[in-house]
Amino acid sequence: MEKKQLMEIIAGILVLLATVGTIGAALLYDEHLWGGLRTIELTAQAPERGNWNIQEIHLVRGEPVRIKIRNIDTVSHGFAIPELGISLNGTGEIKPGNVGVIEFTPDKTGDFLFTCTTWCSTQHMQMTGRIIISEK
Amino acid sequence: MTEKILGLIPVDWRFELTSLPYVRKIIKSRWMPFLPIVLNLSVFTIILMAGFVGGVSAGNYNFGIMFVWIVWWLLLMMVMVPFFSRIWCMICPLPAFGEWLQRLGFMKVRNKLFGLNKKWPKALKNMWLVNFLFLGTTYTTGFLTTRPIATFILLMSIIIGSIVLMAVFEKRNFCKYIGCPVGGFLGLYSNMAVTEIRAKDPQICKDHKHKDCVIGNEKGHACPWMILPFDIGRNTYCGMCLECFKTCPYDNMAINLRPPATDLLVDKNRGLDEAWKAFIMLGIAIFFFLIMQGNMGFLKDWANAKTTEGYLTFVVLHSIFNLLLIPGVFFVFVYASRTLGNKEIPLKKLFTNFSYTLVPMGLIAWIAFSFGILFPNSSYVLHVISDPFAWGWDLFGTAHFPWTPFLTGVMPYFQIGTLLFGLVLSLDIGFKISKQTFQKRDEAVRGFIPIAAFLTAVTIFLIWLFTG
Repeated sequence: MEKKQLMEIIAGILVLLATVGTIGAALLYDEHLWGGLRTIELTAQAPERGNWNIQEIHLVRGEPVRIKIRNIDTVSHGFAIPELGISLNGTGEIKPGNVGVIEFTPDKTGDFLFTCTTWCSTQHMQMTGRIIISEK
Repeated sequence: MTEKILGLIPVDWRFELTSLPYVRKIIKSRWMPFLPIVLNLSVFTIILMAGFVGGVSAGNYNFGIMFVWIVWWLLLMMVMVPFFSRIWCMICPLPAFGEWLQRLGFMKVRNKLFGLNKKWPKALKNMWLVNFLFLGTTYTTGFLTTRPIATFILLMSIIIGSIVLMAVFEKRNFCKYIGCPVGGFLGLYSNMAVTEIRAKDPQICKDHKHKDCVIGNEKGHACPWMILPFDIGRNTYCGMCLECFKTCPYDNMAINLRPPATDLLVDKNRGLDEAWKAFIMLGIAIFFFLIMQGNMGFLKDWANAKTTEGYLTFVVLHSIFNLLLIPGVFFVFVYASRTLGNKEIPLKKLFTNFSYTLVPMGLIAWIAFSFGILFPNSSYVLHVISDPFAWGWDLFGTAHFPWTPFLTGVMPYFQIGTLLFGLVLSLDIGFKISKQTFQKRDEAVRGFIPIAAFLTAVTIFLIWLFTG
């Protein structure tokens, strides 16, 4: 193979690595980081901008779950399931562009409210959803 | 006697960086600038991903926003342009796909380019189109700097636009005249740079009839920027692609270190398109400050399109300020200059020539403006490099690094010092331009008084604006 051809192939591989490789590596790393546990991804936005992207979450009692809350809004949000005594650690606030993570194992069945815990807009009180926990 | 920049460095002083053997070897390799472009492409892939998945989240916690509008912009204004001319164009990955398509390959030399290879109309071979394109882009500043998806749309538009337009128009017309919003000011402000690409010995080029740098050969492409590498008078349209280093059979191209702003003294190819670019850039620096760092909340709301009326008011005011008001005020001072200096000098020539005094002033104003971004906001970078897509990562343990402004107490001193340096440099360059334009020294002195007054007034205004 000529040197020029070889250079062309190496260059092509480098371009692929820089584009597809970068995207693939990011997705693989994310999978590696969050894999192994059922993960539910919630995105948080104030009600007038879209509210929680999922309004109803179905869980099974005794099965561990991770809820990852991505704040894609321009204001801070929070997350809690008051009746289960579950909330974010620390200040409980997820700043814009940040992610909050909660891992827990539901230990009772029922229909529970989850809510934003940071005053995010005049419609803050409408920023709620339901978690329905059932038996296996 | 040779003139000196700031009375210190002779205008014709040069140090050839490519006289260092390893530098020349790197520059002549076909891997250069391919490798930096690919590395940059990887960063831009992350930026695009972050912009896409970031949606409408707040910009200061988004990798795309932070790296384009903080890191890249600051590097561009504070490092790349003043020190390395259009080095960004050398490593820019955005038109790379279009160029690879033209060449039907990444590294191979193919002087018959793929595509329609249309010539760009002669009447549009100037900065007017990119002037309006850049001004148009600044209409969206309220979204671009706060909404990741807006940055994604802008960058993708440039990439797709470059692929389409580079398939139609030959070589780098896209970058030079059509589609790059920042190409115009990179060109104009690169006249300030302390580096340049020039022929080492013009006589060698004169004697060499074949002009490989213009038509290309088996070692390199014909100049993609369609300039004459053997006769580069100013940095303006040299995209530093390094092809002329490869094609020159006499190894006669050089990268030189030189005093700043020397290109502004080249009394050739000056034009009103570049004059307006200088006005627009100065005006945008002022408007951007008011929107991003000023205390006029209503202006921020207008730019962010809180209401349609407000947004339209912003667009109209912004346009009038940049396209008419600043040039109009400058015209009054130029008219006074002509009256005091020599009434036989054409007003257009005087107006055009003196507008180049706003190039040092404009670039320095942008550097001073950039301090206002650097010191308060750069700590966000630590967050976004650890969690670039806001997916809850913590790659470097800095994902939860809080917003920490630094050196904000001394920031005004940096800004004042920079602006005063800009004034001194503008006055120095301005007086040299005055001597070129008026020819007689006493006319040049008298004629320069109003321009010096304008430059001083602008500096005082900028100091008041940035630090008041």
